[in-house]
Amino acid sequence: MSDFHGIIFAYGAVPALGELVRRRTASSLPFCGRYRLIDFALSSLMNAGIHDVGVIMRRDYQSLLDHLASGKDWDMGRRIGGLRMLPPFGLPEYHRGDYTGTIEALNAVSTYIHDINAKYIIMMHGNTAANIDLRAAIRQHLASGAEITAICTDATPDYRHHRYIVDADGFARSMIFNQTAAGEGAASLEAYIISKQLLISMMDACAAANHYHFHRDAIADYLASGGKVNVFFHRGYGKRIMSTEAYFNANMDMLSAANRAELFPAERPVRTKTHEDVSTYYAEGSAAKNCLVADGCIIDGEIDNCIISSDVRIRKGAQLSGCVIMRGTEIGEGVIMKNVIADKSSTVSSFQTIMGSEKLPVVLPKGTKI
Amino acid sequence: MKKSCIAMLLAGGQGSRLYALTQDVAKPNMPFGGKYRIIDFPLSNCANSGIDTVGVLTQYRPLQLNSYIGGGQPWDLDSTDGGVFILPPYQTAGETGSWFSGTANAIYQNIGFIEMYDPDNVLILSGDHIYKMDYSKMLREHIEKDAACTIAVLQVSMEDATRFGIMNLGPDGYVEQFEEKPKQPKSDLASMGIYIFNWKKLRKYLIEDENDPTSSKDFGKNIIPNMLKAGEKLWPYRFDGYWRDVGTITSLWDANMDMLSTTLINLYDPSWPIRSRSVAQPPHYVGPEATVVHSIVTEGCEIEGHVENSVLSSSAVVEKGAKVLYSVLMPGAKVEEGAVVEYAIIGEQTVIHRGAHVGAPPDGSEAWGVATCGPRLDIRENASVKAGAMIYKSEEG
Repeated sequence: MSDFHGIIFAYGAVPALGELVRRRTASSLPFCGRYRLIDFALSSLMNAGIHDVGVIMRRDYQSLLDHLASGKDWDMGRRIGGLRMLPPFGLPEYHRGDYTGTIEALNAVSTYIHDINAKYIIMMHGNTAANIDLRAAIRQHLASGAEITAICTDATPDYRHHRYIVDADGFARSMIFNQTAAGEGAASLEAYIISKQLLISMMDACAAANHYHFHRDAIADYLASGGKVNVFFHRGYGKRIMSTEAYFNANMDMLSAANRAELFPAERPVRTKTHEDVSTYYAEGSAAKNCLVADGCIIDGEIDNCIISSDVRIRKGAQLSGCVIMRGTEIGEGVIMKNVIADKSSTVSSFQTIMGSEKLPVVLPKGTKI
Repeated sequence: MKKSCIAMLLAGGQGSRLYALTQDVAKPNMPFGGKYRIIDFPLSNCANSGIDTVGVLTQYRPLQLNSYIGGGQPWDLDSTDGGVFILPPYQTAGETGSWFSGTANAIYQNIGFIEMYDPDNVLILSGDHIYKMDYSKMLREHIEKDAACTIAVLQVSMEDATRFGIMNLGPDGYVEQFEEKPKQPKSDLASMGIYIFNWKKLRKYLIEDENDPTSSKDFGKNIIPNMLKAGEKLWPYRFDGYWRDVGTITSLWDANMDMLSTTLINLYDPSWPIRSRSVAQPPHYVGPEATVVHSIVTEGCEIEGHVENSVLSSSAVVEKGAKVLYSVLMPGAKVEEGAVVEYAIIGEQTVIHRGAHVGAPPDGSEAWGVATCGPRLDIRENASVKAGAMIYKSEEG
């Protein structure tokens, strides 16, 4: 039995993702032509040999359930333990809204947390595009002697985040909440290694005081009472996807070989649900420049700086620039599109023109027909 | 549990004519068409036809094939009362076991396996054919025609008929005569090496054949002629779709090139998926200076050079200034800067180093052929591999 148990928060309602999360959680957003965002958390856990994982979900989780299935794609389809879906249970009747914070989400599945048979729990958010070397994080955590390790990035996130001020001994001294720009300290990726005992005492304390927030309440109190928070730096690519613009930019980031090498290192492969797709066919007269293209597509048109998911058709004469095209989309002849995110199974009929900007990409919701 | 029909897949072939490519792996496990292994075709056909029990007979280099097939999950063949089973030759108490000495002997040695399922019929398949076929239609015809054996046949040109086992039919439409590679063919119906037998009958003929010391224990040479001689009903099942035997370098290359056309065999058809075991790779990347024309490209590939009329399997790499023309790159093959690969098959993980040149376009000469580099080789800088050459590791390593 492993000493470590994973918990992935996939309940997140991220309003700034707009249409993209109308019928799905941010964790099940398609990413980089092939993946769902939650694949990174699952693969990070899998690559550290952790097969017992609970996924906390709240609503609109149908696409997430469909993607995760039995968990076998991440070696988590196990007789004992393995992947467990945790929709809300044990919530008071009157509670109809979203989880107000991580602690509330944990308390909603508290019987599951109590029954965990491992000493440590690794908590991650499902909408984080980061391939975290959890083996290294665990080594550092155990060596530090702390009961909790915060996984941070040395990059500056483009969303509201919390920062840790880190002392020379590698432990956090204090926190700064809700930063939006670069500043002192290191940005939290909101991923933690924590002893089960400490987590349960935090959950109990917050429940008693009607507190919901892991950082503002639980961690702040723990630091104030002299608790030691070890800080582990994740050095590679690492972004939480918190808005449509961030989603678009993160996809475009993958056109850089350096970013791809950080997110998809050979030694820590990212697994996802496998599809039965054919190879992609490039017809005579097609052109592709600086693009990522998944399997099962037929490309007759011209694409540049695009991320194309599987099973997409780009017809003759179409010109796509800076677009993110999701699975099953069909782009008609002569269509011109720039900075467009086309959600799954959209159809754009011949000779339409759709122009967005890098700051404000146009989103075609799932199943759009133009 | 009683089954109407189970399949036995003959995957034993060493594939000696493909030596450079099959030195380490059995032919059915060879990469094909970008995304597949050859064995994906019969296994997917079984799953799509509702046949849930498949025995895979293998005795040559089985390690990779075993790990590829695993529990049969990619083909949905991991069912509770069926599944896909690797059947190597084995020893029994009191006697010494032996290698499979022929296609019929391979089935004979596994009578025990077949009896476990008590099937009415047994489908015999080959592990080196590329095709999509609904075996349930063939089974229905087999039952309707009350045949002891139904043989899938393909109409070929009279000229090609000399290369195949040819079925001559009687006036009632049943098979009257079977001729192996006839010099003067009387019919153009070629056997595809796909049979459905009534199991009770086949069992009897297998045992009789096993006791015949002069027999070469082969379906085409012995079992079928013996059944005809005994007056059994043999029915030809006509198949008119795409079908290729990929037993030679040329036919393997040709069939790969066929994958560039969706009209010959449509692999994009969601109603008949060909499934394979694959580990997720990132989407393939096409660089700013790359050109990709009339080619298929698979996930994990990185293309910075020129690719034309070619089949790129997963994680193949074509560096800047490199050219790949009319060629097949197997998984993980790499063509370095400035190297040229034309009319060639490059094995798994093989690296064509800078400036090397593999293969040449057809020049009309007898000697011309597709150049082949086996798996895990290094073709050194500026080396030249002639058309038709076959490069592989010496057995010593």
